[in-house]
Amino acid sequence: MIPLLTYPLALIALATIPALTAIYILRNRFRRRQVSSLVLWRFHAQSKAGGAKVHRLQLPLLFFLELLALLLLVAAATGPRWKLPQSSRPLIVVLNDSFSMRALQDGASTQDRAKDFLQKLFRRQPPPYTRLILAGAQPHSLGSTVARWSEVNRLLSQWKCWSSAAAMDSAITLASEIGGGQANILVLTDHKPADQMISNPRLEWHAFGRPLDNFAIVNASRTAFGGQDRCLLEIANDSDATHSTHLRVQAGSNTVQSSEISLGPRQSQRLVFNIPSTVPSLRATLDPDALAADNEIELLPPVRKHVRVRVALTNENLSAMVNRALDATGFRAALDQNPDLVIHADDSPVGSNAWDVTWSTIGATNTYAGPFIVDNSHPLAEGITLDGVIWTAAAATNVPGDVPVILAGNVPLLSEREDFLGRRHITLNLNPALSTVEDTPDWPILFWDILSWRTSEMPGLADSNARLGTEVILKTDREPVAITQPDGTQISFPKVGDELAIETPMPGIYSVVLGPATNQFSVNTLAADESDLSQCASGQWGKWSDDPVQRLAETSAVWIFGLLALAFLAAHMYLVAAAQGKS
Amino acid sequence: MDPAIRQSLQAGEQLGLRYALQIPQTASSGSGPRSGRRAGSSIDFQDYRDYQPGDDLRFIDWGIYARSDRLTIKLFREEVAPHLDLVLDGSRSMGLEQSRKPEAAALLAALLATSAANAQCSQAVWLSGEGFHRLPNDTLSPSAWDKMAWESARTPQQSIEILPPKLRRLGVRVLISDLLWPGEPLPLVRRLREGAAALFVVQLLARADATPPEHGNLRLVDSETGEETEIYIDSVIAKQYASNLAMLQQSWADACRQCGAQMTTLIAENLENSLSELESIQLLAPA
Repeated sequence: MIPLLTYPLALIALATIPALTAIYILRNRFRRRQVSSLVLWRFHAQSKAGGAKVHRLQLPLLFFLELLALLLLVAAATGPRWKLPQSSRPLIVVLNDSFSMRALQDGASTQDRAKDFLQKLFRRQPPPYTRLILAGAQPHSLGSTVARWSEVNRLLSQWKCWSSAAAMDSAITLASEIGGGQANILVLTDHKPADQMISNPRLEWHAFGRPLDNFAIVNASRTAFGGQDRCLLEIANDSDATHSTHLRVQAGSNTVQSSEISLGPRQSQRLVFNIPSTVPSLRATLDPDALAADNEIELLPPVRKHVRVRVALTNENLSAMVNRALDATGFRAALDQNPDLVIHADDSPVGSNAWDVTWSTIGATNTYAGPFIVDNSHPLAEGITLDGVIWTAAAATNVPGDVPVILAGNVPLLSEREDFLGRRHITLNLNPALSTVEDTPDWPILFWDILSWRTSEMPGLADSNARLGTEVILKTDREPVAITQPDGTQISFPKVGDELAIETPMPGIYSVVLGPATNQFSVNTLAADESDLSQCASGQWGKWSDDPVQRLAETSAVWIFGLLALAFLAAHMYLVAAAQGKS
Repeated sequence: MDPAIRQSLQAGEQLGLRYALQIPQTASSGSGPRSGRRAGSSIDFQDYRDYQPGDDLRFIDWGIYARSDRLTIKLFREEVAPHLDLVLDGSRSMGLEQSRKPEAAALLAALLATSAANAQCSQAVWLSGEGFHRLPNDTLSPSAWDKMAWESARTPQQSIEILPPKLRRLGVRVLISDLLWPGEPLPLVRRLREGAAALFVVQLLARADATPPEHGNLRLVDSETGEETEIYIDSVIAKQYASNLAMLQQSWADACRQCGAQMTTLIAENLENSLSELESIQLLAPA
């Protein structure tokens, strides 16, 4: 039975059949007419005399022609497919999308040579249909199946070679699943397979790489370091001989460093230096070589978020201690208007957007010397050890809904909960007057963790510099987001949640418009494995086996039904024209 | 009687004033108001001829005998009384609904009766039914006729077998019918022609009889028997219908020719414009 509900066109066409029948029945029903005598109709009456008693419906040939044409169109709309013998197999091409394919030699990249090979293959032995799979960090299929080279060439425009890795094994697995053992798989890459003995009779591995010497910037970072930014650059010599290159580092328009770097085989060199945090952009470039993509990086100033903290503790000594600890973190903003965090002694409301730390010392007379249970996976407990600490607290039990972070037995010393607006409420069960926590490194660490967690949840980008292929996290207040990629492509997100993970498919500067604010982040091609061209190779591994028997492949039969429908309609037109001519 | 029939009779009577029935030479019956072609016993002198034994001695012209000593007989014109017998098909097919056939039949009968009167011809109107019966008041003017209706389920052929009309010898006989019944026409034509001075067969068809219906499915109902049949009319069937009608008309024409009768076909819906056909078969002449 044809599942017509999955073919809306077929359903519509089928619905016209009862309509057509009704039209003919109504049009051809017998009209009563009195005649003088049936003597002149005797020829008909005689033919009826020996026939059936029941008069069957008198429908003309035209009706049956129209009915047949409609039924054929219904069948065609269901997309029938027949199994027909095929002389050649379909082709699935796995394309290495990593940026090592951009390596140039003699003015042609590895990608260009792979494209030329594919075009020649199409000229020599065009497959019935082709599917392309990009092997980037994750494999994915490029569109649907195509038949002609022009369509393949159009899909190849999406082959950018900007991935930081090539998951060739995953891509080949995907191709095998799609091909179902029937399709030929062609791998176009720049290196040889891990296992050079390819056992799959349907897999051919073609590499077009060349082992080339290459200098590359394999690591780069720019982090906040007090009032300055600390920068790290790592340059690697991915060759088997000593080579030198020229490194130029520019901070804005000023040249920070311009030096000759000479490195031995497989050596790398790290450069660490500080620059003022006011420098908008740091660019580092190497001399041109085989792979241009890894010769240049651009680092933007790190994201510096500050938390407006209001300390509303009634105990002045305790308030002073807390303020000192907060100031030491470097995350505290100078202002405390519209605070992002309130530290107070009771659990009174603190504002629409603020987190709060409720610090209760009432009844905190029980002293605990350990062992303490610390949830180090929680952002509030990062780096806290509580070694040798005496913690005096109230002997309370955990409030339902609170997440304990530090426990002494079943007594929660530090816990937190999230309300329906996404605000965090931290409860600190500590009497500092009878404790030694404030005398240990855990004291400033605790406040650093609190402010660090708060900043990580504030709207804006988490990082301003990222490696190619990684995701950049953007925290939002559910405002619309618009992203402009380095090539000018704009992507809009009218509705987002609290967090948006931005993909980085190409290197360069990305602009992110979040509400009224515009942020930027830089994506750099930092992948040591892809910059190492010494393992690149050319050659062919594996060969498609010849078909011992003719293979059956599904082929669309829509055109056959369409032609038959046209033939019936042509016959219909001929009969109509002939009838008009006679009348 | 149907008012429409009455109105048609009056119209036919008016129309018939323009015509006179053409009386054949052989049409005579007893003494009447009209002079015949042959010698008779009227007072109108016609000719002389020699006396032959057996001649009535009263018609010897004694003056000629005195002058020439020859016996000569005086011949006078014959006085004839021509007669028209209108034989009407009273079957239901003549009253076909949605056609002008009944009105046309009444008009035609009235026209012929009036034209017969114009030709000093007596008349009798016979209507078929369970046998042939004369219409009441048929000797009067057509507007006085009564009980003219097309309600018989029998064909004229069947009616004549049950009760034939008492047709006058040497009279002019006119059969008005659509002739649409099965069977050989020759016996009926021969029977009507027998003893008649002339027989005219006027086939009166509705336009629907003459032309087949348009294409499509039809449930045909026989107006006489009520029999029904369903048929799809296409060009082939229409052509076959026309062929059947032509064959029927040809069989009647052949029968008429064999018996010395005249036949013509008129279309009811076009009757007024077809009267020249009656002149062409020498049934009518302008008055």
